[in-house]
Amino acid sequence: MEDSPVLSWKVAGLLLGLLVILATALVKPFGVSTQYVVTDAIVLHNAAPSVAESNEYLNKYGEKADWGIGYGWMLVFGMFLGSGISALATRRFRQRKNPALPAMWKEQFGDHKGKRLIQAFIGGMLLLFGARLAGGCTSGHMISGISQLTVGSFVFGASIFASGILTARTLYRKRSSS
Amino acid sequence: MKLLLGLAIGTAIGAVMQLGGASSYRKILGSLLLKDMTIIKLILMTIAVTTVGIYALDLVDMANMSIKPTYVVGIIIAGLIFGVGFAISGYCPGTCVLASAEGKTDAVFTLIGGLFGAALYALVYPLMAPLISLTNYGEITLPSVFNVSNGIWIAVPFSAILLLLVFRVLKDRYE
Repeated sequence: MEDSPVLSWKVAGLLLGLLVILATALVKPFGVSTQYVVTDAIVLHNAAPSVAESNEYLNKYGEKADWGIGYGWMLVFGMFLGSGISALATRRFRQRKNPALPAMWKEQFGDHKGKRLIQAFIGGMLLLFGARLAGGCTSGHMISGISQLTVGSFVFGASIFASGILTARTLYRKRSSS
Repeated sequence: MKLLLGLAIGTAIGAVMQLGGASSYRKILGSLLLKDMTIIKLILMTIAVTTVGIYALDLVDMANMSIKPTYVVGIIIAGLIFGVGFAISGYCPGTCVLASAEGKTDAVFTLIGGLFGAALYALVYPLMAPLISLTNYGEITLPSVFNVSNGIWIAVPFSAILLLLVFRVLKDRYE
């Protein structure tokens, strides 16, 4: 079952903490959401270099790494590899009956693959728009930011949970019995 | 060399998070519905360990810190938008990468949506300037606000409170 993690939160939290400390000692604290911008910058720079270079925000991140990948991008790519490897090793790769539908979602909203994928896509857009406006996401702001005792990261953490809890409650307000 | 280091640290982080259940839709929604505390405890445990570690490194000048600026209004608005995306998708920008690697196709859509969301932000970035300059207090931290020169004096009690929360106060599940 995908619902019972292999590692307890104690062990996973301890190991994850040690890894973030290691990253901070060797390079810098860990963050993910910037790499979405870096990816956009690389893709657009390949397709239309002048458009990418004239966009102030893409230029800010693209120029720095010469419109290529850097340490941070490789870290996120590593996360993809690491997750895939551990999922395969623990036989949790493609565990769902329908790879697009979480069981819990299906119970509430029914067997609608298209609806779920649209939700997932729009959710992703909101996540990254919010993360870029804040300057970080769950990793960069919540974990790395709060661990550096950054005031804004506490504000971000409170804000995402307030909004996330409210939205989740609205989505799951009544269990459909049909 | 630095690229390989990134790959190595990232692979370890990805594996630990996947094994800890961070890429599970049920676990994340369970947290937001305040029924399953696994992910909340995982995050708080990670922060408890990391805070003390980073400020201990800082004592010997070995912490490559990176403090983000605090612009209260902009960050609150950003968090509200992020939170809606968090609950709708059931992922965050990092965990959708992990879940994509597990073969969950909804997570791939969240990842692609994220690329579009970041592009949209790049497009409207000039319009966001007022939100970033309004109530911007710069790179402030609890030690700088309280004028404590060694952050470890705040880091240790802060981590102790988090450990108390995860081990003594919060239960695993609520009905």
